[in-house]
Amino acid sequence: MAKQKKFNILEHELVPEHEIVPPEEAVKILKELGIAPHQLPWIRVTDPVARAIGAKPGDVIRIRRKSPTSGETIAYRYVVGY
Amino acid sequence: MAELVYEWESLESKIKTTLREAAEKLPKRIYEELIDKLKRTCQEYGLTPEEATKIIYNVVREYELSMIEPGEPVGTVAAQSIGEPGTQMTLRTFHYAGMREFNVTLGLPRFIEVVDARREPSTPIMYIYLDEEHRYDENKAKEVARRIEFTRVVNVASEVSIDLINMRIIVRLDPVMLEDKGVTVEQVKKVLEKLKLGNVESDPSDPLVLYINLPPTESFSLIDLQKKKDKVLNAKIKGIRKIRRVIIQSMVNEEGKTEYFLVTEGSNLPDVLEVPGVDPRRVYTNNIHEIEEVLGIEAARLALIREMKDVLEEQGLDVDIRHLMLVADIMTQTGRVRQIGRHGVSGEKPSPLARAAFEMTTQNLFDAAARGETDKLLGVTETVIAGGILRMGTGMVVVSMNPATLIKGTQKSGSEQG
Amino acid sequence: MIPEEKSIREIKFGVLSPDEIRKMSVTAIVTSELYDEDGRPIQGGLMDPRLGVIAPGQICPTCGNDAKSCPGHFGHIELARPVIHVGFAKHIYDALRTTCRRCGRILLPQAELDRYIKLYGRLREKWPLLAKMLVTVVKKRASKVMECPHCGEKQYKIVFEKPYTYFEERAEGKIQLSQFEIRERLQNIPDEHVQLLGLDPKEARPEWMVLTVLPVPPVQVRPSIVLETGIRAEDDLTHKLADIVRTNEKLRELLDSGAPQRLIDEHWLLLQYHVATYIDNELPRIPVARHRGGRPLKGLAQRLKGKEGRFRGNLSGKRVDYSARTVISPDPNLSINEVGVPEEIAKVLTVRVPVTPWNLEEMRKYVLNGPYKWPGANYVITPDGRKIDLRYADRKRIAEMLSPGWKVERHLKNGDIVLFNRQPSLHRMSIMAHIVRVLPGKTFRLNLLVCPPYNADFDGDEMNLHVPRTEEAQAEARELMLVQYHILSPRYGGPIIGGVQDYVSGAYLLTSKATLLTLEDVVDLLSAAGYRGEIPEPAILSPKKRWTGKQLISLFLPEDFNFRGRARVSAGVFACENEWCWNDSFILIKKGELLTGVLDKKAVGAEQPENMMHWLIKEYGSDYARYVYDHMFRMFIRFIEKRGFTMTVDDVALPREAKEKIRVILHEAENEVYEVIEMYKQGKLEPVPGRTMEESLELKILDVLSNARKRVEDIVVNYLDPFNNVFIMARTGARGNELNITQMAALLGQQSVRGERIHRGYRGRYLPHFRPGDLGAAARGFVYSNFYDGLSPVEVFFHAAGGREGLVDTAVRTSQSGYMQRRLINALQDLRVEYDGTVRTPYGDLVQFVYGEDGVDPMKSAHGKAVNIDREIERVIGWRT
Repeated sequence: MAKQKKFNILEHELVPEHEIVPPEEAVKILKELGIAPHQLPWIRVTDPVARAIGAKPGDVIRIRRKSPTSGETIAYRYVVGY
Repeated sequence: MAELVYEWESLESKIKTTLREAAEKLPKRIYEELIDKLKRTCQEYGLTPEEATKIIYNVVREYELSMIEPGEPVGTVAAQSIGEPGTQMTLRTFHYAGMREFNVTLGLPRFIEVVDARREPSTPIMYIYLDEEHRYDENKAKEVARRIEFTRVVNVASEVSIDLINMRIIVRLDPVMLEDKGVTVEQVKKVLEKLKLGNVESDPSDPLVLYINLPPTESFSLIDLQKKKDKVLNAKIKGIRKIRRVIIQSMVNEEGKTEYFLVTEGSNLPDVLEVPGVDPRRVYTNNIHEIEEVLGIEAARLALIREMKDVLEEQGLDVDIRHLMLVADIMTQTGRVRQIGRHGVSGEKPSPLARAAFEMTTQNLFDAAARGETDKLLGVTETVIAGGILRMGTGMVVVSMNPATLIKGTQKSGSEQG
Repeated sequence: MIPEEKSIREIKFGVLSPDEIRKMSVTAIVTSELYDEDGRPIQGGLMDPRLGVIAPGQICPTCGNDAKSCPGHFGHIELARPVIHVGFAKHIYDALRTTCRRCGRILLPQAELDRYIKLYGRLREKWPLLAKMLVTVVKKRASKVMECPHCGEKQYKIVFEKPYTYFEERAEGKIQLSQFEIRERLQNIPDEHVQLLGLDPKEARPEWMVLTVLPVPPVQVRPSIVLETGIRAEDDLTHKLADIVRTNEKLRELLDSGAPQRLIDEHWLLLQYHVATYIDNELPRIPVARHRGGRPLKGLAQRLKGKEGRFRGNLSGKRVDYSARTVISPDPNLSINEVGVPEEIAKVLTVRVPVTPWNLEEMRKYVLNGPYKWPGANYVITPDGRKIDLRYADRKRIAEMLSPGWKVERHLKNGDIVLFNRQPSLHRMSIMAHIVRVLPGKTFRLNLLVCPPYNADFDGDEMNLHVPRTEEAQAEARELMLVQYHILSPRYGGPIIGGVQDYVSGAYLLTSKATLLTLEDVVDLLSAAGYRGEIPEPAILSPKKRWTGKQLISLFLPEDFNFRGRARVSAGVFACENEWCWNDSFILIKKGELLTGVLDKKAVGAEQPENMMHWLIKEYGSDYARYVYDHMFRMFIRFIEKRGFTMTVDDVALPREAKEKIRVILHEAENEVYEVIEMYKQGKLEPVPGRTMEESLELKILDVLSNARKRVEDIVVNYLDPFNNVFIMARTGARGNELNITQMAALLGQQSVRGERIHRGYRGRYLPHFRPGDLGAAARGFVYSNFYDGLSPVEVFFHAAGGREGLVDTAVRTSQSGYMQRRLINALQDLRVEYDGTVRTPYGDLVQFVYGEDGVDPMKSAHGKAVNIDREIERVIGWRT
């Protein structure tokens, strides 16, 4: 059996699009929400998707979710190192 | 009465401004649906520009009216909306969901499993869709199924016994099972050789009988022999660990073609993703922890929503998906799937009073004392305990008025008028 | 003028240090005696008056207050020897095994510790969860070190034996650590290290967890009860404290007299036991302390714990005044917003009304009527805050004195707002506001349409009523909680209030094509509905003037209302695809005119989203919806009253021909079952993949039998008159379904327990009436008889077995789902939508960026969608399509 390339989990239908938000933009987003970064929902650095996109603790990740109610929606998660 | 217009383009040009306004106010999805439906209505029944304008106006108004109000205690509403129909769910654990081949936990027990964030569902199940090549051919689907199904010697042997006289283990294979699992005698032989218990040979008269000749060096105790026999029985021939059974199902997909897919009893997401012939993008399991570990927290959130929705739908209960989303969101809040209960969401609240009022009262109080915790009295339970006003709904509005200035104000305005 | 409002900002938790305990104590307790011979409390005893007074009239020697305002004062017991506080036993264990037995520092290298301490300081404020995790890591790593990196002392493994014994596992064996040693070691731990163990050194030094002084709660916490016989019964805590004092004094005596160590240890252990059970009397591995009668004593922990404990019983949920409870009964003549309150109850529940120049006369009248005549008043409050009981006062004189500034506790009267509740309160519609209607009788009356949200029926149900007392509460109840604002359920975005049972049958019968009404009928129906207006032109002018039910419905519909949709009766032979259909089961409303179709459950029923009522409520508002529910719906029951509606046995009687057909079907099925069994016995049965032979057989038989039952059902449905009352109820959705009718008319079918055919009982058979090993249909719970003909004794037994399972199931389910709901509520209750549309916890964490990802309130949605565009198009052009 030929060893094939390992499946890229980012392609799985359950995994929405994740991207690291540039810091200055993250600051803007947080300011708009009026919160400190740790008050965002978290994502662990060890999370397979966070690892796949190379996120570091302290990053804010933007998630483009497909939504059953509104079509598409954006959420953020703060990368936490644990 | 204005003329009915049957051409969409000419109608569109007449109501352009209204449409532009609507496009600004409405979410894209609703706007697109509106245009699509207006178009169809226009072509079928005709529309006057006034009617079209009125429809658009109504849609915008209805949309704006449907927005949630600030202060709404959405958490409580969600919990009630899920808990209330819980009384109507069946308690029967086992139910045949489309398949009679194996049991699936459904109804209340399954729902509790999901919100408990159990490590392993009581009936793990995977839905495995196949790639372009294997999707439309039942035989090819079967091929993949055989690759996945965990097969041990015990599954294909009709008898495994110990021959004490010749010091050998006799393995008699079942031709029907071999056929069913797609295993050849050669494969079994290889597996047995790998066990390194002794050299394996076929019976000259019957190819289905294999002997493992144990080296005659030491004297084996019976318990030892029994252990060796178990080792033979449990020897893996092929397949993926934990997948106990695979069945092939078919459905008609969006393209209108009959597509075959696999349903398995037992779940092992990481390994199945790598099996050739499987479409890894669409593999699904009801084991949420596996999804979390392999596909991440966002995928786990979606799986939670989907599992809860499926249970409720199967029971014929009508619960708005927004409630389920909220539950999934709070469960995945900290980057891992937390239980709804003392070891999860409720147990991690910052307020010691809220924790004490929920479960393990004394334990929580002692811990809070030892840690020197402070309760800021922000949440619902704490506020009720302290006799305050909940900061929800109308209680969220904080207007303070100094009666002294009011008196001054009335005097002032009074004197102005006077 | 306005009293300053005092509010609690925060509550700090901590452990009392011995010094603090002594400082707040008013006296040391030195004797276990409570009273002297004259029954007076002894100074220095547990009932010492300095601890506070509770008997009315006494003055507290400590604070000088009377019993009402004396808060009570703590005392203390100086323990002769230290004892472990059981609540902190686990914390002590953690501290012992992670720190050095000599120098008290955490058993990790200094560099590592420094790093952790710094990290912990940063995490503690903002990341309490992560800080907690760090502590766990530190504990885990330190507990494995066997030699102190600071002083080089060899460590021993600490063994903790619940509930309060600690050993050191030395080479020479298990050595018990005395409370002295433990306290000493804990004392040695430096403050920073204490912090890294997750404890707060300012509020809770670990050595304080080993008690040297025990606080004695004031008598207010443990009042004694005087029985009728004059004997005083002391509280459990007092008993326990007396035990502690007695043991403590004895121990002290022994110590002073230099008694043998064995004796001292024995009493020390006893003291430890008493202190432990005083705190928690449900500790594992030690005997429960009991009363003389054998009843377990209630420790401090037992007072707080559990459903009836202080927390869940008194702090989270409270008993209230101004509430009433009685049986409910129906009254279709009330508005859905109203509740009928018995006069007797109205005379007890009161509202406090300030007297103003505008209501002075009215209030005088109430005062004159007094407490026994409705509408009256029970109390009057003078401007200086005195409460006058009108039962004993000169009412005439008080009525005259009444003037603005006074307040009157007047009886509940018509138009007052009250909250109405039925348990279990599973959703917010379980508590709604109603407007009072005082009625004769002894029961609460409510409109039948509000039964679905409360899940109420009238087989003896009771409901509670609460009177909101402040103006704010009353205004909120009236504007937010009134029934009409809860017609739409937030669960699925559809009406939860609606017609049930006779309303549905009535609506169907009234709007059916066969119904033609005379002028008399029309007038009667419309007056029952409270309709005021013109009577429409009759639908049939000659030979006689006749109106249709649809015309009457149209009178209540808004003029621009368009609607099309299938009725529930549109099924099987009565199905309609569109309005051009004989069966009249497609509802078409154009410009407020019901043109075709009958109204049934799909149009007017409860819990039916996207039906006619749903759009009426959404598009015309709740006031209009209330009008329809109060008036149009009254017409339905008036009509069913006039027509008469019942059910007879004949409704489910089948003709001979049908019975014959059913017999044949069942005979065939029976034969088929035997064939299958025969195949199974010969081993020829094809197994379902993945199932055993036996399971496959069962599946196959169940299949055969359920198919047979379905075929019988088709026959029953075909042969019964579709317009007999039973069938009408089933078709319209008023009550029952086709399965129920089949069970009455033809056969009950397979009875099951746990989804299987009933087989457990005697060996190889369920009942001795069958041969052992009989796998046939009848032997395993297939009931061939029906309710019309009656069941054979054996069949009754099968049916009872199946029925029992249903009952058990319901009982178990309610408890399980109740617990799940409690957990869900507890996890989610703090979430709210903020002004920016996000969902957050009060602690500041953000949960959702937009509620539900689109910001739509499910209650205001059209069955989950923000806007139903088809419906919006229909609203505008529905009249011409």
